[in-house]
Amino acid sequence: MKSIAPLFLLPVAAITCPAYGIQYLSVQQAQTALYPQANQFTENFIELTATQKEQIESISDVRQRWKQQKTWKAYKGDEFLGWFIVDKVIGKHEFITYAAAISAQGEILNIEIMDYRETYGGEVNEASWKSHFKGVDKNSPLELEQDIPNISGATLSCRNVTNGVKRLLALYEVALKP
Amino acid sequence: MNNKTLLLASTLASMTLSSTYATMAFAGENLLGYTKGSEPLPKGALEFYQIFTQRSDKGQGSYSALDSITELEYGVSNRFTVSGALIGRSVDTKGLIIGGYLPQEKTQGLTLSGFEATAKYAFLTPALNDIGLSTSVGIEYDTIDKHSGQDKETISINLGLQAQKYFMDGQMVWLGNLDMETTHATRAKIDGINDEEEWPTNPEMEIGLGMSTGLSYRFASNWSFGAEALYEMEYETEVGLERWSLFAGPSIHYGDKHFWSTLTFLSQISGGGETYENQSDTNLHLIEKTKQEIKFKIGYNF
Repeated sequence: MKSIAPLFLLPVAAITCPAYGIQYLSVQQAQTALYPQANQFTENFIELTATQKEQIESISDVRQRWKQQKTWKAYKGDEFLGWFIVDKVIGKHEFITYAAAISAQGEILNIEIMDYRETYGGEVNEASWKSHFKGVDKNSPLELEQDIPNISGATLSCRNVTNGVKRLLALYEVALKP
Repeated sequence: MNNKTLLLASTLASMTLSSTYATMAFAGENLLGYTKGSEPLPKGALEFYQIFTQRSDKGQGSYSALDSITELEYGVSNRFTVSGALIGRSVDTKGLIIGGYLPQEKTQGLTLSGFEATAKYAFLTPALNDIGLSTSVGIEYDTIDKHSGQDKETISINLGLQAQKYFMDGQMVWLGNLDMETTHATRAKIDGINDEEEWPTNPEMEIGLGMSTGLSYRFASNWSFGAEALYEMEYETEVGLERWSLFAGPSIHYGDKHFWSTLTFLSQISGGGETYENQSDTNLHLIEKTKQEIKFKIGYNF
């Protein structure tokens, strides 16, 4: 057979195009999407103590990676609408940044995916998938494939976003609840 | 028929026309060089892989070989994938003659030598279940002896079991594989060598067993560092356990939305079985193996 070395190198050269991730929303855009009626957001970053981190992990059974959790209070005039929280969870290649809106009563109002750079699973940003988190609270089991649909090819991302929401509900119980 | 399906169909059709089927695919993004994961591609996904393995140093003379696998894998369902690959080989060996294995010095440029096809089914997925588990079956047809570069017709069937577990939300991944390969091979005659000891041309059967394990840790976004160990044994009808070897070494992996790449260096830690005459490193197997292997993989998701 003839030497075909150059042929083997062709596909390698052909696939060296750069890849770009998708940033769906900035913090401000996510705030507007989750609280369209709000006219004020008050920054209220939480510095968690070691005890609080342990409590969050104990309640949610999910590791609390960060000492600081970025939260804002959403208001319409003087009316407190709820909490706006920006969080990150591990994706297959990079962190997935998402935001959650939690009511004053500790119930998820909705979530928004802010940054997703994975190969598969862009469906996590579809309203039909995100809507499964609406109304869940600390008593919701939040099991992937039972309560939250899995997206094939993005199972790790789905699992970690689901666990992230579990952890934020525990954060509410430990550090945000009035 | 969409473009992906058409591309896959044409690739598989061309292989069928060549009267061959493809085998042991590498299935999805590879965090390590040798130990494969259990995660399946999602339905309809198409991935391209190019894998180069350089094998060098037999302890005497000069020996360098390059194996190439150019592969396409397709997700038939969310649990079942098929793949087809072209195999290329080059061998450059001087200053070492081993009866039955390296019958003469040879310089063989990178040449298309065979094809392989693999099917893989995932029973459990690591992010949904406590552990991921998949099985694979592959068939390979090759026309060049990977050790000597001489003509040798080989048909192999490979059965594999892949396990995978996530730790730390997926930041650390454990992988484990078990493989069994049965091979039927017939060497072509070499002009000037009529001694069956030097180059046996009677058909032979071999069974190879392999097990590997490794860990991969993502130390920064997109970047993972890993280490793995690979233990292989080969049994032949006449001599029983013909050889065994233990390789181990590190990997560096980069992966993003469309592209991933893995570079692995494995060194032979110990080995046994047959040795060649005057072999100095008798605690290594250097007839069919080398002292080190470097594997470079690149993958692209369409």
